[in-house]
Amino acid sequence: MRTFLLILLFSSMLLLESSCVGLRQINELAIVTAVGIDTGNKPGTVKLSAQIIRPADARGQTGAPAGGTGQPIYSISAEGNTIFDAIRNLGRFSSRRVYWAHNFMIVLSESYARQGIRDMVDFFTRNHELRMNTWVAVTSDKPDELISTITGIEVVPGEAVDKLFRNNQVVGLAPGSNMMNLEEALLSTSAQPVVARLQLQPRGISNKKPEEHGSLKQVELAGAAVFREDKMIGWLTPKEARAALFFLEKLESGIEVINCPNNENRRLTLEFKNAHMSVKSFYENEKPRFQIRLKSAADIVESGCNVPVEQLRDAADASLEKLMKQRIENVLDKAQKQHHSDFLKLGDIFRNKYPQEWKRVGKDWNQIFAEAKFEIETNVDVKSAVVKAAGDGIK
Amino acid sequence: MKTFRISNGMFIAMIVNLIFVKAIGVTQGELARVIGSDMWIATFIGMLQGIVIMYITYLALRKTPDRDFISLGSAMLGKWFAALVALVIFVFYLAAFGPIMITYVYHLQEYFLPEAPISLFIIASLLVGALGCYYGLEVIARIALVGLLFIFFLNGLIIIGSTHEFDMRNLLPVLESGLPQTAAASLHFDADWAMATMLAALIYPHVKDVKKYGAKLGIIGIVTSGLIIVIWAILEGAVLSGEVTAQYTLSCMKLARNAHIGNFLQRYEMIMIALYSISALFEVMFCVYATSVCASRVFALKSNKPMIIPVCLILGAFGYWVVDDHFWALKYLEFYWPRVALPIAFGLPVLLLLLRLLFGKKLQKAKPAT
Amino acid sequence: MSSIQELLKGAFKPSVKENAAVLDQILGNSADVQKRDFLLCGKAGSPGLLCFMDGLADTTLVEAIVRALVVTGSQLNREPAELATAESIRTSLLFNATVKDCPNVREGINGILSGDTLVVVEGLDQALLVSTRGWKDRGVEEPSSENNVRGPRDGFMESIRTNTAHVRRRIKDPMLRFESMVIGTRSQTDVNIAYISDLVKEGLVDEVKSRLNRIKIDSVMESGYIEELIEDAPLSMFNTVQSTERPDKVASALLEGRVAIFIDNTPVVLIVPTFFWQYIQAPDDYYNRYWVGTFFRIVRYFAFLISLMLPSVYVMLVSFHHEMIPTSLALTIASGREVVPFPVLLEALIMELAFELMREAGLRMPKPIGQAVSIVGSLIIGQAAVQAGLVSPFMVIIVAITGISSFAIPSYSSSLAIRMFRFPLMIASGFLGLLGFSTMFFALLLHALSIRSFGESYLAPASPYRPTDQRDTMLRLPMWMLDERPGFAQDVDRMGDNQMPATPLQKGE
Repeated sequence: MRTFLLILLFSSMLLLESSCVGLRQINELAIVTAVGIDTGNKPGTVKLSAQIIRPADARGQTGAPAGGTGQPIYSISAEGNTIFDAIRNLGRFSSRRVYWAHNFMIVLSESYARQGIRDMVDFFTRNHELRMNTWVAVTSDKPDELISTITGIEVVPGEAVDKLFRNNQVVGLAPGSNMMNLEEALLSTSAQPVVARLQLQPRGISNKKPEEHGSLKQVELAGAAVFREDKMIGWLTPKEARAALFFLEKLESGIEVINCPNNENRRLTLEFKNAHMSVKSFYENEKPRFQIRLKSAADIVESGCNVPVEQLRDAADASLEKLMKQRIENVLDKAQKQHHSDFLKLGDIFRNKYPQEWKRVGKDWNQIFAEAKFEIETNVDVKSAVVKAAGDGIK
Repeated sequence: MKTFRISNGMFIAMIVNLIFVKAIGVTQGELARVIGSDMWIATFIGMLQGIVIMYITYLALRKTPDRDFISLGSAMLGKWFAALVALVIFVFYLAAFGPIMITYVYHLQEYFLPEAPISLFIIASLLVGALGCYYGLEVIARIALVGLLFIFFLNGLIIIGSTHEFDMRNLLPVLESGLPQTAAASLHFDADWAMATMLAALIYPHVKDVKKYGAKLGIIGIVTSGLIIVIWAILEGAVLSGEVTAQYTLSCMKLARNAHIGNFLQRYEMIMIALYSISALFEVMFCVYATSVCASRVFALKSNKPMIIPVCLILGAFGYWVVDDHFWALKYLEFYWPRVALPIAFGLPVLLLLLRLLFGKKLQKAKPAT
Repeated sequence: MSSIQELLKGAFKPSVKENAAVLDQILGNSADVQKRDFLLCGKAGSPGLLCFMDGLADTTLVEAIVRALVVTGSQLNREPAELATAESIRTSLLFNATVKDCPNVREGINGILSGDTLVVVEGLDQALLVSTRGWKDRGVEEPSSENNVRGPRDGFMESIRTNTAHVRRRIKDPMLRFESMVIGTRSQTDVNIAYISDLVKEGLVDEVKSRLNRIKIDSVMESGYIEELIEDAPLSMFNTVQSTERPDKVASALLEGRVAIFIDNTPVVLIVPTFFWQYIQAPDDYYNRYWVGTFFRIVRYFAFLISLMLPSVYVMLVSFHHEMIPTSLALTIASGREVVPFPVLLEALIMELAFELMREAGLRMPKPIGQAVSIVGSLIIGQAAVQAGLVSPFMVIIVAITGISSFAIPSYSSSLAIRMFRFPLMIASGFLGLLGFSTMFFALLLHALSIRSFGESYLAPASPYRPTDQRDTMLRLPMWMLDERPGFAQDVDRMGDNQMPATPLQKGE
């Protein structure tokens, strides 16, 4: 018993001797909340910029006074041959260890995305610190400018963009692309990645100079970038991105504006709800065919038509159906004809139904997909005029 | 040795703990590399095979429920054979320490303390393992019950955290690689079940109601663990997709990293690993126990306590050798370990069963084991 | 000294003078020894002597003895010759409640030292020992360390007889037995073992007796002495013997088939065997309705977990696993720690130490000063230390929550144990992060699982798992469902069938 206890004691002492490895207090870290990745000045290099929080400024005074600079973020950038190399180079001038675990988003520049993102995805999934629901976006602006822009009401800009993504369902104009589904789509043979688009737009109104409308740049989430394999091949407009969301995220609601049936100059705004898309695939004559059905209800949320709602109901049904069908056709067309990339995950549906055939055709699915036929059917019912009475004669 | 009895629930809990740790992550990764998202079917098929081995183990011990494999061997063919059986089981558990350390060290080191040296993990786990062995089998069995409780919590947490990302389309198409290949892949699981049957081979005589329930207990243990593991197989398939699962050594950690509850709790794999570590440390502890018992039987010692420290040193050295190089560790895991585990786990019960048929009469004359 | 030992072994002599000399020799001239001489029935021929301890004996009772022996004897015109034996005096003259014959000196001296009065009469070869115990007691008060809202307010006190009476008043069962023994070669402390003979776990009473008989010690000042000498895990930080000041707790423990050990001169009674979870249960759980009881019991389980683990989890998160903290919380913690010069582990240890200091100082001071200590302490730690940047506000919150949680555990002695257990846990997680935490937690768990208390597993009924006992462990199910005693009792049934009340049907319905 005694010898056993002694050995126990001795080895626990040994343990304590060799411990404290990896010990780092939370206030010794430079917490990164957004990363921008761009191509470097020299070819083949990467320019990495990071938005780092100053906790004392981001949170106001919680403890003892800790010299506030008034700037909640500190943005730095470095270049390197690879992402990891660039991160190590950040360490050359960052006084604290750069810490990635609380990163909200990764912004890629268009030029970088067009070169290929495989090593970016690999880096961010190989590292254990990083969380998997980091948002990923592509921008046509400079990523370092984008991440150092103070945007939104939040103190920390990264958090503001994070909320932008989270509330994305309301607007529904960009996919909520995070590391998790990006990795999945990249590795999958039956789907291609789509990544949201962020851009800087002069939207903010300065309190000091209100007359210069929109003098402050704000980050805006709209549209998407389409990839084939790991390379970006083109953009989707916000409208196309919304149509893609029906396929990707089971989008349920959104706003569409149509012309009044009686007057081309006036507008009727409809909010579609409970939209449900079902896709069926068929394989006939060595060619895939897809049957797409979209069923939705809609509310009239704004009307300038000056006509009783009752009368324009059927017309509204029809024109919304037409509009939505057109939207879906547009995005299918873009995937099939323009980009030759199945980012709508139609390959998944096909593969699940025809696993044997998939083994043959899966390898060059993008070509086969380009020849696929589509039948699109949309069915919209305007069901409510919200709080206004939907009865006869009410405008 | 027989002053205590393990209750039925504890026996089942021990089986579940021993299988669960490796099967949810490491084995699922192996399966995904072979058959993609059909891991859960392979898990089921593997479970059936586990039941069969468990039943054979029971058959070998049925007539003499107060003997384990080693004392059964000594009753049939004398001391040298008992020593041989003990040596074989010793080798089995020594080899099993490799995968156990791979799961334990990689879970904690790679995902939580990447800068800590490997030896630290091995020493820490062996320390508590030795402590548990010192307290004896009863305490080991009891902690298994706590481990089982924690496994239930863990499963609850992962289900809550993953339902948000659950995508049925990832699981389809079912049996994409065909049934034969899936069945072949399920052999990877057998190495996990093997640990459970070898546990039964050593522990069965201590179980309380073994006469009343017979093989049922072992089989319930296997089925329970199978069902608990299938939850992970299905979640990994549906949330991560087979392709992503295949990319990782520890796919369960990948799943745990993905899990989040609401917007506030973005990551809580630490809670899960804290729960998980009880089972993982139980595995280490049982490994120390089993090897020390076998070693003491080889040297014909009365108690296993003097062997705990030498055995820990051997296990520690072996564990370090396996874990140190990740490439070698994975090779050991996927290639060498099944080739050690399966022949022993299948062969030993069958051999003893055959011998029993031959020496049945001699066995009846032998006095009951002490 | 040896001569005194020999005198103690001797018997009383018929001569009063000789007996008086023996008493003098043994008791010396202690200030509190009182002797009073008298004449039996007022006759000069038969002198007698009373001996008692001043302060221990009730003088009105002593006066009654004298009155009986002198006045009543002479009024009845009894002759001393008729009263030649101790028995005849006891049966025909004395009217004190408890009188016994006392042949040898040791018994007589023990009686005197316990507050009885020794009566020797010329010509009798036996002395009489009259019970006159009566000294100033503290009144029955509410136990200060175990308060409750609903339920009896009485607590044990320093007199063992009063204490056993408290229990006897609650259980008027002839099977309730008190067995007496004396421990302590010098202190001669009375110890009573209480149990209900047809409920108690078989063999338990013998086990308790044999453990108590083993004790060879000069004195027993408090039940803590006994506790440390009979417990199962003497090296463990867990206490495997429950102690309480509440008669209702003792009574219910006896009814569960356990054994209580009463010790004279202390209001604390020991109960064995003990399960860990009992420390988290309070009598209020049973006196309030079961919804309330269950809810507060669960709250207490949380308090237990928090007081054990919260500081170590915080230390581990802040010094190793920052990625596990939700981002907004991480920023708040980081901003609070921005100027703190210490590592988290040191900060936590300092704060815990400061907390224990305040607790200890407040405890030892007289009550009004104790409050002042805690006010000054909380002001300094809570305000000034944070303002000065010595500790982070978050750490203050953590330590405060931990402290409050540890106070929420009803049993004071076990809350002390838990308070100590959090230090190894905290140090391990501060040095090795999750590895240290999980390993240390596992080791603690192993240790707790290996402990037994008088043959019962310490963590029962959680491990080994006893399904029927779960009704009263985590949850407190309604009284009409708690129809069984814990599994180790001899007789498990405690209630008739179908005790769930229901509204009786109205006439005409």
